[in-house]
Amino acid sequence: MIEVIAHTCIIAGLIISAAMIVRFRDLISAAIAFGVFSFLLSLEFYILQAPDVAIAEAGIGAGLTTAIFIIAIRAVGRDEEVEE
Amino acid sequence: MKKAVTGAVILILCAVLMIPVLSLSFGSPAVSQGMDDYFIAHGQEQTGANNIVTGIVFDYRGFDTLGEATVLFTAVLAVGLVFRKLKRGEEYEYE
Amino acid sequence: MNMSRIVRTVADISFPFILIYGFYIVVHGHLTPGGGFQGGAVIATGIVLLVAAHGHEAVARQITGNLLKNAETFGLLLFIITALIAILLGQGFFTNWLANTGMLFGTPVAFGPGPGDLNTAGVIPIMNIAVGIEVLGALSIILYYMLSGAQEAR
Repeated sequence: MIEVIAHTCIIAGLIISAAMIVRFRDLISAAIAFGVFSFLLSLEFYILQAPDVAIAEAGIGAGLTTAIFIIAIRAVGRDEEVEE
Repeated sequence: MKKAVTGAVILILCAVLMIPVLSLSFGSPAVSQGMDDYFIAHGQEQTGANNIVTGIVFDYRGFDTLGEATVLFTAVLAVGLVFRKLKRGEEYEYE
Repeated sequence: MNMSRIVRTVADISFPFILIYGFYIVVHGHLTPGGGFQGGAVIATGIVLLVAAHGHEAVARQITGNLLKNAETFGLLLFIITALIAILLGQGFFTNWLANTGMLFGTPVAFGPGPGDLNTAGVIPIMNIAVGIEVLGALSIILYYMLSGAQEAR
């Protein structure tokens, strides 16, 4: 029972954070939402009994990729151009 | 009108994609293929590693790990090529 | 770009623990979950923390880019040479030529679940360390390149 609740909460959080990545106009907010997405994904991997993938996802997805995105966003400007 | 059609298509796609998800046995191992039984039975004595995952990644499937390391090396080479220091007076040439 | 004194102190204190955790994951790769790739990524995350706290120049004076480049190349070479030695001994490429021989990392292991012994698994720990060094260098040097390129663009 507790597993079903954990799965439901984490997958709902994954879908919400993925939608936030797409919806945010501020790119730094989108990068932070991507970090949250990676962290929830690593939790999901851990619950599905894949600790190897969970460590790799937490280190690379939540740590390094967010940092590299933020460095790139600082260089090119933080507002997304809206094309109509 | 356009938004309504898009939303309807997305809803139908989600419903169709949910059908195989509901029939999956989520979180439990798939049907055994025979290969994993061999690895579990012989992996510990052949490689000497208690962690069978590492035994497979670095011993039985060593070529995959070599390819992964090479891909990472090539990625670093490409990033270094893009962000290399230009000499004085030199400019990027575009074809 | 410098963070406040509180952030710098916390980063300095937590960096050794991140380093030790990463090397633990690398060295115990054949006993516990993890391995070279995961441990190297954890150590690179520690370097990201240092760069975020102290700025690029201050960190690059201590951990130079050449050191990381050499670490990456050395890791890949160690990995390939370890695999090639098996050919010199008359076995196939990537054969585990150290397992169950009684030499370094060569203690035979009993079948079944157990706490495990660090001195087992033949070439797997050596390859874990090689891949760990390579991944640590590669991911950190990507970060350094991005930082220097971003500074030029501003």
